[in-house]
Amino acid sequence: MGFLWYLTIRIGGALATIAAGSFLIFLIMHLAPGDPALAVLGESATTETIAAYRAEHGLDEPVLVQFVIWAKMVLQGDLGKSIALAGKFPISDLLVTRLPNTIFIGLYGLVIALVISLIAGTAAALRQGKLVDTVATGVAVLGISMPDFWFSYVLILFFALSLDWFPSYGFTPPGESLIGAFHSGFLPALAIAAPMAGVFARILRASLVETARREYVTAARSYGFAAPFVFIHYVFRNAIIPFVTVLGLQVRYLLGGVVIIERVFGIAGMGSLIVDGAFARDYPVVQACALTFLAIVLSVNLIVDIVCALLDPRRTR
Amino acid sequence: MATLATLKGLGRELRHNRVALGGFAITSFVLVAIVIGPSFSPYDPTLMDFTAILQPPSWAHPFGTNSFGIDVLTRVLYGARNSFMISFAGVSLGAIVGTLIGMTSAYMGKLFDAVAMRLVDLLFAFPIFVLALMLMLILGFGVQNVIVAIALVYIPNFARMARNTTMVVKSEPYVQAAQVMGQPRLRIMVREILPNIAAPLFVQFTVGLAFAIIIEAGLSFIGLGVQPPTPSLGVMMADGKDYFHRGPWVLTLTGLALMFAILGLNLLGDGLRDLLDPRLRRRSAA
Repeated sequence: MGFLWYLTIRIGGALATIAAGSFLIFLIMHLAPGDPALAVLGESATTETIAAYRAEHGLDEPVLVQFVIWAKMVLQGDLGKSIALAGKFPISDLLVTRLPNTIFIGLYGLVIALVISLIAGTAAALRQGKLVDTVATGVAVLGISMPDFWFSYVLILFFALSLDWFPSYGFTPPGESLIGAFHSGFLPALAIAAPMAGVFARILRASLVETARREYVTAARSYGFAAPFVFIHYVFRNAIIPFVTVLGLQVRYLLGGVVIIERVFGIAGMGSLIVDGAFARDYPVVQACALTFLAIVLSVNLIVDIVCALLDPRRTR
Repeated sequence: MATLATLKGLGRELRHNRVALGGFAITSFVLVAIVIGPSFSPYDPTLMDFTAILQPPSWAHPFGTNSFGIDVLTRVLYGARNSFMISFAGVSLGAIVGTLIGMTSAYMGKLFDAVAMRLVDLLFAFPIFVLALMLMLILGFGVQNVIVAIALVYIPNFARMARNTTMVVKSEPYVQAAQVMGQPRLRIMVREILPNIAAPLFVQFTVGLAFAIIIEAGLSFIGLGVQPPTPSLGVMMADGKDYFHRGPWVLTLTGLALMFAILGLNLLGDGLRDLLDPRLRRRSAA
């Protein structure tokens, strides 16, 4: 049926997953201990005001009905109000200021990881078994063996406290100053990038080595094509597909890392918001953040699927 | 038993694979260190010594002392023991439940397969720490719940792998023979299929153990996991960050020890994967 049909199925699947996922999130938050009415109204609330609040917000309805009410509000862009954080602001206001910071750090880290892994993975595959390969694969294993939050403290120790090249704490939002954001975001982005670069480089190397053994590559060489031409058009082009697939799978680890790194560097993003929300037992905030994270993972996976389909048209058949 | 022969063969090949051998050596060293190490340490992991607060690494204290004057290396050994047990329990739970779901899914097919695999896809779409964090909200913080959170992270991995491998194995002649002989399904799954899909699951387990230690450390580091005074590597690093400027060795050396342990598991996993991958084996033989 071709590309459009494939696209429709994929988008449909992503929408179904986010619907199911939002129900799961809602259910988990519903199971969490504590009465939301009591949390909003405070300890001084009387039985009558609590009952009135519960009736007004549909808290006495069955779970499914409550979910539908919440889902309708979310679809209209209303994520509810924070109970404990930031003076009971609407959560959508919080997300508007915080999401760009997280996306900036995430993309910054992803780009650093891509640059490192493309160079290291390709070099290792081209010089298989040589010193470059040994060093690159060794460093890659070290990269996936360290917790990113620990690595961020090592970076702080060297590049912030000793050399004073970068700030050890705080982040200038990209909206304020783009240069400031690149500068203050470098260490956190590098910390997130390190384990990812390890994973990416390993996959790319394995995929390049595997592809270089294929018969069509041997055939291309036997035609007398120049080695760089064969590498770019026959080996790299085909080897990049599993690489892109893994990239998509890594988003859930990437965002996991962001949650902790943001707290280490004091970045006002989604990660620190969900953790603060968890400590304050601010369920509406945690719920909204979890939904946003889910939406990010699914959109990235959708983009990855589309890129893969464009790289390899066989997938859409 | 087919598995026993495979394991023996594996042991023989292990000696020729430098990566696997290195990983095996590091992992064994770490295991011995966390099992018998604490009893060799001259220091007490809880006894405060206010005459030895925040001493940098020295011969007496290779990893220095923390803000209570406690020897950091001793605490690392105790903490690593906890971290290791927590992640072992979590990954085991995830492996058992996930494998059960995956095998049943492949073997039953139809509705069970469709529903179970959509659920697995759904779990896969959540960032790991978000999943764990929401779980901690319902269950509360603490050791058991970190185990459950780790299991939840790993259930989809094992379910998918078990399903895919069972799909391949279930059309093999010996499984069909068992079916023709009228053996019950459960018996076929346990006696015929499980031993033949165990190898890739074991590799996944090794690598999973490594990352689970990072998950535990991460959750405890932000205060959502193991709670002090129970020592775990994450708790100790969280403690070390509070006085990082005055005594950076507490956090950095604890993390370095953790990295060493994880490195061993990752190398072991890599080596085993190479050994168990039939495509790679053929190549090295050729």
